[in-house]
Amino acid sequence: MADFDRWTEKLSRGLARGTSRRSSLAWLGALATGAAVIPALPVARAATPAPSGGDKRPPVMSSNPQDPGDATTCEYWRYCAIDGFLCTCCGGTVNTCPPGTEMSPITWIGTCTNPADGRAYVISYNDCCGVSSCGQCLCNRNEGDRPQVRPQANNDYNWCLGTQSSIYNCSVAAIVGVALEDAK
Amino acid sequence: MRTTLSSLALLLVSTTAPAFAKSAPLPEEAIPSVATLPADYPASWLLVHDFHFNALLDGRIAIVDTQNEKLPLKAQVRAAQFANYLLSRGKREIYTAETFYSRLTRGERTDAITIWDTATLEPKGEIVLPGGKRQLSVSYTGLFQFTNREKWALVANFTPAQSITVVDLDGRKVLNEIDLPGCAQIYPTGDRGFASLCADGSLISMTLDDKGAVASSKTFEGFQDIDRQPLFGMPALVGKTAWFVSYYGQLQAVDLSGAVAKPLPAKASVGTAEGGAPEWRPGGWQVIASDAKGLLYVLMSPNGREGSHKDGGTEVWVVDPVANKRLRRIDLGGLAGSITVTREAAPRLVVSRPDAKVDVFDAQSGQLVRHLGANVGANPILLVPAQ
Repeated sequence: MADFDRWTEKLSRGLARGTSRRSSLAWLGALATGAAVIPALPVARAATPAPSGGDKRPPVMSSNPQDPGDATTCEYWRYCAIDGFLCTCCGGTVNTCPPGTEMSPITWIGTCTNPADGRAYVISYNDCCGVSSCGQCLCNRNEGDRPQVRPQANNDYNWCLGTQSSIYNCSVAAIVGVALEDAK
Repeated sequence: MRTTLSSLALLLVSTTAPAFAKSAPLPEEAIPSVATLPADYPASWLLVHDFHFNALLDGRIAIVDTQNEKLPLKAQVRAAQFANYLLSRGKREIYTAETFYSRLTRGERTDAITIWDTATLEPKGEIVLPGGKRQLSVSYTGLFQFTNREKWALVANFTPAQSITVVDLDGRKVLNEIDLPGCAQIYPTGDRGFASLCADGSLISMTLDDKGAVASSKTFEGFQDIDRQPLFGMPALVGKTAWFVSYYGQLQAVDLSGAVAKPLPAKASVGTAEGGAPEWRPGGWQVIASDAKGLLYVLMSPNGREGSHKDGGTEVWVVDPVANKRLRRIDLGGLAGSITVTREAAPRLVVSRPDAKVDVFDAQSGQLVRHLGANVGANPILLVPAQ
C-alpha cells in the first residue's frame, strides 16, 4: 500500500506539472477570484453561517512577503481548489497537520497563482486524519475542480486514504512545485 | 413521597395562587413511549442527507414532511461517516451504507449496510462490506444504487482504486466485487446492470449475471468532454432516462431502461439570459431535478465562471428538454445549494440553502409556498423525495 501511495503521489505531482490545461484554468480562476467576493457555498459554507466559523479572528500572515495573505481566510491564494477545514485554524499550519492527526500520503492537487510573484504553483491539499471534523475555518473553492471521474482534480473525495484512520479533521495547502511556465 | 410532594405543592398553591379552580389534575402519561411513522411515506416527504460537516462521523438522514411548516422533522436515521442511503418503497426499508471505527475515530474499520424499517426506524439487519474500501466523499446518489429490482445494491469503492461491490440485500450477503478502474458513479440500467462515467470521457455499461459477475460490457467513447463540458455527477431521471447537465448548461441524456445504456443523440440547453456577472451557469450541489411531466429544473447562478459550479444558485430554470425550450425562470429569493421536485398532485420545488434553511415553492407557478426554516439538519445537501 505504501509503495502504491508513493507512486500515486508521484503521478499526481507529475500530472500537475505537465498539464497545461489545469494550469490555465487555475490561472483564470485566480483572476476571477481576485475580482469577486467569494459567495456562500452550499456544501462547505453551509455549516458555518459566519464566513470562517466562530468569532472573527486576527489574520495569520507568513513572514515572507512573497507568500502574501491571511492563511485563516478562504481568499488566501493557495486555497484556490481546497474543500474543508483550514488546518491553520485547527492547531496546524498551512502545510502541517495538527497534533494527534496523521497526514494523508495521497491527495488532490490544484494549481494556484501567487499574486506576489505571478507564478503558478502546484498545491497539494493533503487531508489530516484520525480526529473528528475540526469545525473551524471551513472553505470550499473549486477553480480547476472537475467531476469525480478525475479524482486527482476533485475535492469531494475524503482523501484520508492510506492512513490508519479515514476520519477527516482538516486540510493543508502545501507547495509541491512550480507549474510549467508554458502553463500560463 | 408522593404525599409529601403533594403537600408541598398545596403549600405553594395556597401562598401564590389561591384562586385556582378545582379541576381534575392532568392525567398520568404512559412511558416509555416512542413514536412511529407510516410505513409508506407520503409524496410530500423527503429523505434529506444531513451531511453534518462539523462531525462527519455522525451524519444523519432527516425524514422531512415538507407540508408541515411547524414540525417538518419527523425522524432521523443514523448515516455515519460520508454515508449513502436508499429507500425501497416496495420493501418498506431504508438502507444506509456507512463506515465505523471500533474506537470512534481509530481502531478497526467496519463498512456495513444497515437495513431500517420505514415505520419504526429500527434496524432489521446488516451486511458487512469487506475490505474497508467504501468510497468516502461528499454525498452523491450514484455511490449506492439498487439493481435487480431492488433485491441487490451496488456500492462504489475508492481506495483510490475504483471498484463496485455487488450486494444481495434480500440474502444479506456480498456477492461480488467488480473492478472499475478510472470510472466513477453508478447509474442502474435495465433489470441487472449499471452504467458509469470514465476518465477518458467515455460511458461504460455493464450487465450482471445471476451471481453478480459481469456478463457483458460496452463502452461509448466521447460521451463526456471533461475539459470543455464536464457533467455534474447527479442526473435527473425522467422515467428511465437520465438527464445530465454540464457546468455550462448543456443537457444530454442516457436511456437507462434497457440492459445496456444508450446515450441519446438529442442535446438541449438550459438557455442563456442577460444579467449574469459574468454569465448564468448551473451551480450548487444537487443542481438538476425533474417533474412527472418530464420537465427539468436546473439551479442557476448569475455568477458563473471557472470554479463556480458548487457555489449555489439564485434561480431555477425550467426546461422542456425534448422541445429544447426554456419555459420559465423561478426566482428563489436568495442562494440555494440543492433542489428537488416532489411527485405530489401539485408538485413542489424544494430547495435547501447554505444556512440550512429549506423552502418549498409551487413548481408550476414558482410561488413560495412555505418556509421550513433551518429546522431539519445542519447541512441538508441531498433532497430525495419519498415517492
